Amino acid sequence: MAGMELLSDQGFRTDGRKPNELRRIRFKKGVFKQADGSAYLEQGNTKVLAAVYGPHEIRGGKGKALHDQLLINCQYSMATFSTQDRKRRPRGDRKSLEMTAHLKQTFNAVILTELYPKVQLDIYVEVLQSDGGNYCASVNAATLALIDAGIPMKDYVIACSGSYIRDTPVVDINNLEESSAGAEIIMAILPRCEQIVFIEMNSRLHEDHLSPVMDQVMTGCKDIFNILNQQVRDELCKKSAQDRIVDSG
Amino acid sequence: MASFIVVKKEDLEKKQNVEPCHTLRCLTSELGCLTRQDGSVSLSQGDTTSLAVVYGPAEVRISRELIDRATVELVYKPKVGLPRPADRKREQIMKSIFEATIITNLHPRSSITIILQETEDLGSNLACCINAACLALLDAAVNMSFMVAAVAVSVADEGQIKLDPSKNDEEKGRASITFVFDSVDLNVVSIVTSGKFSQIEYKAGLELAREASQKVFQFFKDSMSRKLIR
Amino acid sequence: MADQYRIAQPKDYYRQFLEKDVRPDNRGLGEYRATVMNIGCVSTAEGSSLVKIGNTTVMCGIKAEVAEPGVDGKNGYLVPNVELSPLCSANFRPGPPGELAQVLSQNMADLIADSQCVKLENLCVCPGKLVWVLHIDLVCLDYDGNLMDACTLAMMSALKSTSLPVVTVDEESGEIKTDPSSRTLLPVSCCPVSTTLIVFDNKLLLVDPTSEEESLATGAVTVVTEGKNVCSIYKPGGTPLTDKQIRDCIERGFIRGKEARSLIEETLCSVDR
Repeated sequence: MAGMELLSDQGFRTDGRKPNELRRIRFKKGVFKQADGSAYLEQGNTKVLAAVYGPHEIRGGKGKALHDQLLINCQYSMATFSTQDRKRRPRGDRKSLEMTAHLKQTFNAVILTELYPKVQLDIYVEVLQSDGGNYCASVNAATLALIDAGIPMKDYVIACSGSYIRDTPVVDINNLEESSAGAEIIMAILPRCEQIVFIEMNSRLHEDHLSPVMDQVMTGCKDIFNILNQQVRDELCKKSAQDRIVDSG
Repeated sequence: MASFIVVKKEDLEKKQNVEPCHTLRCLTSELGCLTRQDGSVSLSQGDTTSLAVVYGPAEVRISRELIDRATVELVYKPKVGLPRPADRKREQIMKSIFEATIITNLHPRSSITIILQETEDLGSNLACCINAACLALLDAAVNMSFMVAAVAVSVADEGQIKLDPSKNDEEKGRASITFVFDSVDLNVVSIVTSGKFSQIEYKAGLELAREASQKVFQFFKDSMSRKLIR
Repeated sequence: MADQYRIAQPKDYYRQFLEKDVRPDNRGLGEYRATVMNIGCVSTAEGSSLVKIGNTTVMCGIKAEVAEPGVDGKNGYLVPNVELSPLCSANFRPGPPGELAQVLSQNMADLIADSQCVKLENLCVCPGKLVWVLHIDLVCLDYDGNLMDACTLAMMSALKSTSLPVVTVDEESGEIKTDPSSRTLLPVSCCPVSTTLIVFDNKLLLVDPTSEEESLATGAVTVVTEGKNVCSIYKPGGTPLTDKQIRDCIERGFIRGKEARSLIEETLCSVDR
C-alpha cells in the first residue's frame, strides 16, 4: 500500500512526527464560571472540554449514595459535529457508555473518595473535535478540571496511546493510525508512583513487542505529565504571588 | 343526521373577498361544556375552535412545588399526533402569560393546570387558544390580576393589514403577528410574530389589534354574565 | 458581606445598584457584555463558530449530509438543534432535552424560516433526487444567561462560514460523486440578529441578562432584526409593557443588529486572511 505508509522509510509518520513524538498539547484551566472546575485541552486536532461539579448532595434517588465514600458520576459525550460523519447521538450509544464507565473507574482509583462519604461528584467530558486518542485527551482534561476544582487526588492521572508500526513502537496515535489494522494500546498511569490505572489493548500484537510499546507509552505519559505539571505549577506560582500582593496591599 | 351544504369554490372566494379586513370573526363560546373539570370552555373564533379546561388550585407534584406561589402547568394537545417542538413553544408562551395574570401567591404549594385541545385550526389558532384559556380560568373562578385578550393580525405582501386572519390569509401573507393585551391599561402582555415586517406595519397592526381587543373583553363579560344569570 | 446579602436578598441587592443606573457587573442598563467570536474552530464540521457573550459560551457546528427530497422535490432541510447538557450548568439534568432546549431549537428553526436567510431551494443538489440536509448543532458550553442571542449569533456566523463540497449525480447510473477538493460557499442572503431584554421589577428594562438576572426577571422580550426590517418580536407573557417600552426594545434591537453584523463581517474577514 504505497501512499498510505504510516511510517516512511525515513522514519517519519504521516503527520511528520517521529515515532516517539507527541502531538502538540495546549490547555487552559478554569475556562468556565458555572462549573466548580473546568479545563479545555487540545492534543493535536483532538479538542476536549471537561467540567467538574461538586462534591454536592446526591441528585435523583438517595439510594445511589455510598455510605463510606464519594459517588463519582461521569458523562462522556461527543458533539455531533466532532467526527467526519455526523454522529446521530452525542451520548448514550454503546461506545460512549463504555467510555463513561472507563473514565469512572479511572478516577475512582485516584480521587481520595473516602474523604467525602455520602456525596456526589460530577465529571462531564465533551469532545468537540475528534482525531484519535479521545480517551487519553478526556482523562488528561478531566485531571486538569479536577485540579482546578481542588479535589484531593493521589497523583495526576495521565493517559496516552501507542501502537506498533513497521517494527517500531509509536506513541500518541492519531485517527488515521488508530483506524489502520495495527494494534492499539491505551494506558492511564499515575506518573509519580509509576502505577498503571487502566490499560486496554485492541487487536493482535506479538508478546515480544508488548513491553517495548508499553515502555514507549509510559514515557509518553511521563512527557505529557511534565508538560501539564510545568504549566500548572507556573500558573499556581503566579496566582499565589498575585494573592500575596493583594493581601499585603 | 348530518347534512351537507354544497358551496361552489367561486362563491366561497367571492365571500372571502367581500369580508372586511378590519373586523373580528364571529365569537361564540360555551362555558362549562364539560362537567368534571373546575372550568371548561369551548371557544370559536369564526371556524377556529379550541377547547380549554382548568383544574385547580389542586395538589402539586412534589418536584414542581413552589413554596411561595402556585405552580402553573399548561398542556397543549394538537389535533393529531404527539406534541412537537412548535407546540412546546406555544405551551411556553401561554404558560408565561398565565403565570403573569393569575395571582399565584394566593395558593402556595398548589397547582393550577390548564389543558388546551386544538379542535379546529382555520387561522389565528394561538389567539383562539389564549382567549379560550382566559375564559376557562374565569369559569373556574381563579383569581387573576387582569384578563388577557389575544388578537392576531396578518400582513399581506402589499403591506395591507388584516385583522383576525383566516388560514388562507396567514399562508398568503408575508407576516403574522399575535398580540396579547391586558384588560386594565390595554398594554401588551405578549407578542409572537412570524415573517418579516417593518416598524410601520407593526404599529398599524398594534393599533388595529388594540381596538379589537376591547371587543374580545366585552365578549368575555357577556359570556360570563350570560352564565351567571342563567 | 456583600455576597451573603446578594444570596439572601437578591432583588434588594439589585435594586440598590439599579437605583444608580448601573448593574452589579458594572454595566449600564442598556449595555451588552463583551462579545467574542471565533469562526471555523472545528475542522471536522462544514461550518463552525464559537461565540462568547460574557461568560455564556455557545459552539455551533454544521454537518452536511445528502438525502432524498420530500414531495416537492427541490427543497433541502435545515435542522437546528440546541443542546443544554449538564456540562454547562448545574441546573440542567442529564437525559432527554428539556423544555428550554426544545423551545430554543424551535426558535432557531422559526428564525431561519422567518428571515429566509438560507433559501431551501439553494440546498438542492439534483432536483427530485438529492438535496442537502444541514444539521445545525448548537452546544452550550457555559450557561450564564441570554442563550437566545448567543445561539443566533453562533448559528448565523457558522452558516456564513459553511462551505459544501461539490456533488454531482451521474444521469444514467445514478451514482453520486463528491469532489472534496472544490467547495462552494453556502449562499446566505441576510443575517438576522436577536436582542434580548428582561423586565426587572415590572418597570426597568435590562439588555443582555445574565442567568442571575434572568431568574429575577418578571418578563422578557426578544427582538430579531434584519437590515431595516423586524424579523420577529417574541415576548412570551410576563409583565405587560407600554408601547413606548416596546418601541425602545425595537430601537435597541436595531442598534445591536448593526454592531453584531459588523462583528461577524470583521471576524469572517480575519479568518479568510
